Amino acid sequence: MPDSDNESGGPSNAEFSSPREQDRFLPIANVSRIMKKALPANAKISKDAKETVQECVSEFISFITGEASDKCQREKRKTINGDDLLWAMTTLGFEDYVEPLKLYLHKFRELEGEKAATTSASSGPQPPLHRETTPSSSTHNGAGGPVGGYGMYGGAGGGSGMIMMMGQPMYGGSPPAASSGSYPHHQMAMGGKGGAYGYGGGSSSSPSGLGR
Amino acid sequence: MEPKSTTPPPPPVMGAPIAYPPPPGAAYPAGPYVHAPAAALYPPPPLPPAPPSSQQGAAAAHQQQLFWAEQYREIEATTDFKNHNLPLARIKKIMKADEDVRMIAAEAPVVFSRACEMFILELTHRGWAHAEENKRRTLQKSDIAAAVARTEVFDFLVDIVPRDEAKDADSAAMGAAGIPHPAAGLPAADPMGYYYVQPQ
Repeated sequence: MPDSDNESGGPSNAEFSSPREQDRFLPIANVSRIMKKALPANAKISKDAKETVQECVSEFISFITGEASDKCQREKRKTINGDDLLWAMTTLGFEDYVEPLKLYLHKFRELEGEKAATTSASSGPQPPLHRETTPSSSTHNGAGGPVGGYGMYGGAGGGSGMIMMMGQPMYGGSPPAASSGSYPHHQMAMGGKGGAYGYGGGSSSSPSGLGR
Repeated sequence: MEPKSTTPPPPPVMGAPIAYPPPPGAAYPAGPYVHAPAAALYPPPPLPPAPPSSQQGAAAAHQQQLFWAEQYREIEATTDFKNHNLPLARIKKIMKADEDVRMIAAEAPVVFSRACEMFILELTHRGWAHAEENKRRTLQKSDIAAAVARTEVFDFLVDIVPRDEAKDADSAAMGAAGIPHPAAGLPAADPMGYYYVQPQ
């Protein structure tokens, strides 16, 4: 791949030398490959543009992670999960990202749930992973547009997620109208309720084992 | 809370209200759940009507809608979660750079791998618009800086883009002040004012 190094009066080109320095960014080859998908075939990308995007992506990860981490601390939880990241993205203005990612997360949990179901006595490398596969199964049982969305938040509460899911047996309901303005608020409300259920689940059921 | 939470396999309660408002729509009739095809499960989100703006702005908004519709379709077709366009271990390492972050669920880097891909695509696409305005075929650092300066949601990146690049972005942004970006919100006035001071 021929890389064009035309720099437009910007000599500030940071060279990443040490391995630890490299670890702070995603690989430039991966970033470059994705950038190409957003450009016409005959477009070229300068090296400093690739490196700038590398830095921007790391900042994006830290930005979202910081907000999600603050939320977990407020709710006395130790593990950052997918729902926390989606909530943080909504809060920080990346609403457009959340709907596709919700579908992505749901499909991932579905596969993880099936994987856990096939292998008996499967203890994952992280206890939280094992805890979160159960909500995934619940989500699979109650799969549906709005219900699926709620299940993702209920999943944070472990056993309580199942209660939330079973309480709403609606399946294949009509798609929500164009409510992009009110959706973030609704989602945040659901997130809060999910947290409340999580608290209840932790205090009332020993199998959920929230590590409290 | 509900004592039911102690029972691992709770029976389904059809239409029983729990402590949250039910979503609008008819309840599913009694009977076992049938796994509907993916298209029925997750209908694509409705595209918002194009806002009344200049032709170029409308074109940009339309492109944004197409972008997100395409993202939705791509994810719908995803069946393999083992091969990611971005390495999960590296994402986790970047997340852990924050000392407050303790434990990370396995699904979190998976979500980020897709989110970062969307972020890179959006940032690059907006940067390319600036390159085209300057009649260049090579994406430069200043194009990324211009995209950051013009897009409010990218305000958290102003410290990442060097100041001299920001100057170039500012002059270009002023020249293209008539182009709105409704999909990602209007450009914030503060970054504009901040950069405006530099040339003086």
